[in-house]
Amino acid sequence: MTETANPADPAIRASGLRRSFGATPAVADLELEVAAGAVFGLLGPDGAGKSTLIRMLATVLRPDAGDAHVFGHSVISEAGKVTPRIGYMSQKFSMYPDLSVAENMEFFATIRGVSRADRRTRAATLLAGMGLDEFTTRQAQHLSGGMKQKLMLATTLMHEPDLLLLDEPTTGVDPVSRREFWRILAGLHRAGKTVLVATPYMDEAERCTQIAFLDRGQIKQSGTPEQIKARIPGRLVEVAATEPRAALAAVQGVPGVDSAHLLGDVVRVLWSGSAEPESVLRAALAAAGVGGAGTREVAPDMETVFAYLADSSAGSGNLLADPDEAPGTGVSP
Amino acid sequence: MRQALVRIGAIVRKEFRHLGRDPRMLLAVVITPVIQLLLFAYAISFDVDHVPTIVIDFDKSPSSQRYLRQYEASPFFEVVARGSSLADVDSAFDHNTARVAIVIPSGFARSLAGSESAQVAVMIDGSEPNAAKVSQAYAVALNQLYGQQLTRDWADAQGMDLSSLGLLEPRIRTWYNPERRSSDFLIPGLMAVIIAIVTVQQTAVTLVRERDLGTQEQLEVSPMRRIELMIGKLLPWTLIAFLDVALITVLGRTLFGVPLRGAAPAFALGAMLFVFASLGMGLLISALAPTLDSANMIALLVAFLPSFLLSGFAFALDQIPVWLQWISYGFPARYMVTIARGVFLKGAGFTELWPEMAALALYALVMLLISAVLYGRRSSR
Repeated sequence: MTETANPADPAIRASGLRRSFGATPAVADLELEVAAGAVFGLLGPDGAGKSTLIRMLATVLRPDAGDAHVFGHSVISEAGKVTPRIGYMSQKFSMYPDLSVAENMEFFATIRGVSRADRRTRAATLLAGMGLDEFTTRQAQHLSGGMKQKLMLATTLMHEPDLLLLDEPTTGVDPVSRREFWRILAGLHRAGKTVLVATPYMDEAERCTQIAFLDRGQIKQSGTPEQIKARIPGRLVEVAATEPRAALAAVQGVPGVDSAHLLGDVVRVLWSGSAEPESVLRAALAAAGVGGAGTREVAPDMETVFAYLADSSAGSGNLLADPDEAPGTGVSP
Repeated sequence: MRQALVRIGAIVRKEFRHLGRDPRMLLAVVITPVIQLLLFAYAISFDVDHVPTIVIDFDKSPSSQRYLRQYEASPFFEVVARGSSLADVDSAFDHNTARVAIVIPSGFARSLAGSESAQVAVMIDGSEPNAAKVSQAYAVALNQLYGQQLTRDWADAQGMDLSSLGLLEPRIRTWYNPERRSSDFLIPGLMAVIIAIVTVQQTAVTLVRERDLGTQEQLEVSPMRRIELMIGKLLPWTLIAFLDVALITVLGRTLFGVPLRGAAPAFALGAMLFVFASLGMGLLISALAPTLDSANMIALLVAFLPSFLLSGFAFALDQIPVWLQWISYGFPARYMVTIARGVFLKGAGFTELWPEMAALALYALVMLLISAVLYGRRSSR
């Protein structure tokens, strides 16, 4: 690579970053810091500004105001020093559909300045590592969704970037391929790469060392998944019943129940009452004549957090605690 | 510098791969020019000869028969029928069996003998104006010749020696294309049309396609400069355009016997400048067009139509309205048609054609500069 990372520099530091499309601000005065070596998950509903943020960090979109520094280099004035260090994977499949897997990797690596010898060895390693080695001669347009995403990731890795900017890399990909994709990301994390990944999937957020919730162009919450979950007020109780819908109806409106919704065939109740939730809920279920019901208190997960944040997205930033310092939990392989 | 060449090489190789994988595109740039050549050279012929002619002789005299033999002897008219009434003319024109009718009224011989001016009706089917115009000209010429013949006969009969009398004899010669073969005229012009279509159309869509595929962003995060991308994109089409020019030249020479009278290097230089001008035009469209479809439409409007209609290829430029003539100066095709015809038919070289070449060079320079600036601005949004 062109130069070694100054350990003092975070992988990404953005301040006052703003970009509008027409009158609509997509990213509004955003502050962000991503430590080198992190797997940083960018969460948020569609239109929250995730893609706009990533494209600005990748230097393909100019900010209206503010600046972002990638490994200490400005994405505006030093784009030429930023691009060699980053690998950018857009949300849309952006390979040549009529070129084969090998030809696509070869082409993008060549224009990235990777030497012929390196191209050969790295392509072989990456393709084998991603299980694509049987498909090197297949045209990109004939790959499955999961294979397409792996091809893009492999191509992005050919010039050995230190920071990966991945815009919803697993959207529209089957669950098996998604797990596979994250297994590869975990490997990159162990190898010391920094990953910024936008995702709509809450289970993927759990695998990040650091996450941020983006809403209307601003970061509303950030921290480790544990820290974020700990900020959920109240307790989470799962109610299993033979008739989940009846159970849901029975618990709704019980004093102390903040919200209740179905997840699969269990009812998840967010409890903010002062009493012990399980006994209150069991009593309510019995009173409603719901049979075979069992309750269990569980730790809040990302799904709950997201539902909670979506409910309170009217903009009550009062949840906001300091995003912070505790090391992440690591990416589970 | 070496790195830049490697990157340009990668683009060129990739472009050729796209071309190889897309049979339609290959068809469009290699087969279509050949088909167009054959189509224009064979099917759309502006040649006028062996015009089917019906003759009606109401006079049936030796004089009238002698007069009609003029037409039978001429290669431009072919007497296909002899009618007995004027209704036959209608019928022959309606059924397209004849395009010209010669009607000799009764009393033709008597008028000639009585030193009156004899009248002959020549009727021409005007539904094909070009053929009609030429037929008319030939019929008039034939009649003049016959008139002179009659004068000489009369003088002989009177025992006069006309050689002492000066006679004005028009001798019309068509230069450069004496047989007026339309293929000689069309094929050099066709080169301009084909180059314009291949280069403008293809380069117009090439950058838009990168945007559509999303690969544009991947190119932007590489160290490749825009100028390298442009060169890499233009090189393959330059090569293909030259391939097409060579192909048409060879086919035109062998299949249609189109003469190449002038200096080939002058033609090559003219073609090269025209290729660059067209590529610049294509790039400009590519930088401006929001979608692939609009790029195709604009390319059709600014490449195909002007090179066809405003270049002198199909219509002589001094016969179109003045305001269209002015517009034609704004498109490079007219200069190329002039250069191609000049070199192929008139044997012209640099000395005669430098103004056209200078115009093309200027055009290419301006187009490439504007598109480089615009392309740079657009992609850094």
